[in-house]
Amino acid sequence: MKIFAIMKKELQAFFYSPVAYIVFASFLMIVGYLFWVILISSSMASLEPMLYNAAFILMLASPVLTMRLVSEEKKSHTIELLLTSPVSPFEIIFGKFLACFVLYLVLIALTLQYPLILSSYSTEFDMGPVYSGYIGLVLLGAAFISLGLFASTLTENQIIAAMISFGGLMLFWIFGWAKNIFDNAFGQILGNLSIFDRYAEFLRGIVDSGNVIFFLIFTLTWLFLAIRVLESDRWR
Amino acid sequence: MTNVTKFYDNFRALNSVSLHVEKGEILGLLGPNGAGKTTAMRILTCFIPATSGSATVAGYDVFEDSLEVRRRLGYLPETPPLYHEMTVASYLNFIGEIRELPAKLRRERVNYVCERLGLKENLPRVIGTLSKGYRQRVGLAQAMLHNPDVLILDEPTVGLDPNQIIEIRSLIKDLSKDHTIVLSTHILPEVSMTCSRVVIINEGEIVAVDSVANLEKAGAGKPVWKITLAARSGGNWRQIIDKIAGAEIADLKELPETAEFKLKLEKPEDFDGLFRKMAADGFVFREISPVKATLEDIFLKLTSGEERKEAA
Repeated sequence: MKIFAIMKKELQAFFYSPVAYIVFASFLMIVGYLFWVILISSSMASLEPMLYNAAFILMLASPVLTMRLVSEEKKSHTIELLLTSPVSPFEIIFGKFLACFVLYLVLIALTLQYPLILSSYSTEFDMGPVYSGYIGLVLLGAAFISLGLFASTLTENQIIAAMISFGGLMLFWIFGWAKNIFDNAFGQILGNLSIFDRYAEFLRGIVDSGNVIFFLIFTLTWLFLAIRVLESDRWR
Repeated sequence: MTNVTKFYDNFRALNSVSLHVEKGEILGLLGPNGAGKTTAMRILTCFIPATSGSATVAGYDVFEDSLEVRRRLGYLPETPPLYHEMTVASYLNFIGEIRELPAKLRRERVNYVCERLGLKENLPRVIGTLSKGYRQRVGLAQAMLHNPDVLILDEPTVGLDPNQIIEIRSLIKDLSKDHTIVLSTHILPEVSMTCSRVVIINEGEIVAVDSVANLEKAGAGKPVWKITLAARSGGNWRQIIDKIAGAEIADLKELPETAEFKLKLEKPEDFDGLFRKMAADGFVFREISPVKATLEDIFLKLTSGEERKEAA
């Protein structure tokens, strides 16, 4: 399968450079610190604040993981190789998406130690919100990566790609604020687009199929756009 | 390629270019920088579309059956498309995977290609640490890995040292037994050494298409001989030679020991008589050699504006 060939190559590339290691190390350090501080200050066996903060840090970190995905290929002319070999833009984009997504899954899997610690010390620790919270985190990651991947197809400059994806994600994160300001349909629409509001529901233990579908559509939309951009390079 | 035109915004990179490559042929695309060689190759490899006109590779249209074309094509772009952080082995394996080679065949081909390109010992090395010549070879290995019908090579010898250039050229010649090859270059001797047919492109237009031998003949014009004579005392060389030879003289160089110049006559057979006459007159010949028109001359003749006006 050519998708898996590309996925494998991308995963290797993450670990050939120090990027993956540094993102992993700094993320785990911050999350560990958060877990400790929140636990000490609240004395409550709840994972919700940590997962909320972890999502925000992942939003900052994911552009670093996604920025090189296509930009680097453009810069080093290897895109010429991919587009002149019998590989479709669909396979290129999905291969790259899966590689980054697998990396992301490993990254959040490494935080599973914290709910395990809590459940082993607390007799009435509720695992429900943890499950739903992690489902939310996985869906959120897919959304982060797809938008970042799209941004990466736009430019051969990695910094620009990172900034576009960071700006885009931040905007979708804070769209929900409009709901409190405009008490009308406009505010409602923006509120519905807020990835943060929808993620927050997962943290409260609610797995709403509407939210799941929103994240899936969000992800597929950006991946589709990324494929179109890659195809359009051929037209210009 | 038929009537292919390519615009980059308002810049016309190719202007209704038509060319045909026979199976097993080495076609050289020759032209100064910016002539449209790379653009033509990119259209053939489905990397960019033509603004108008059509192109087919191995019977498939590059636009309609792009995937089939890409399956049958090996392409070495100007900058070899290498992942610098990968090892040669993992890179070639990846190429094999996206080129749809099954695992067993992939190993065989990687072995075969590395053998042929002298890359065997470099398989475990990281591409970024290889010298430019070896990177070029890895690029070539990438292009021929899947045994494509057609190989398209964009300036394959750029940046190599003279030994490597000779190696790569003989390799390309060798490859033409199994593949149809299109290569581009702005180095003239390369074309005469490797290609069976030449297309000269300038400013997006085809100026000439012919075999190397025919082009040389076409550029030759009047026969020219280069002559070196032993020095002889007394008088102006030009006058002396003029009197005896009655031929056109060019590039006269007077040295203490010898005099060098080029002689031009209308007909080749006139030279025999002239040389006999000169010898009888006491001239001592040090060197006599025919001057062949090089592709360089032809190239300059075809691409310089004046000549084209004359032709028109």
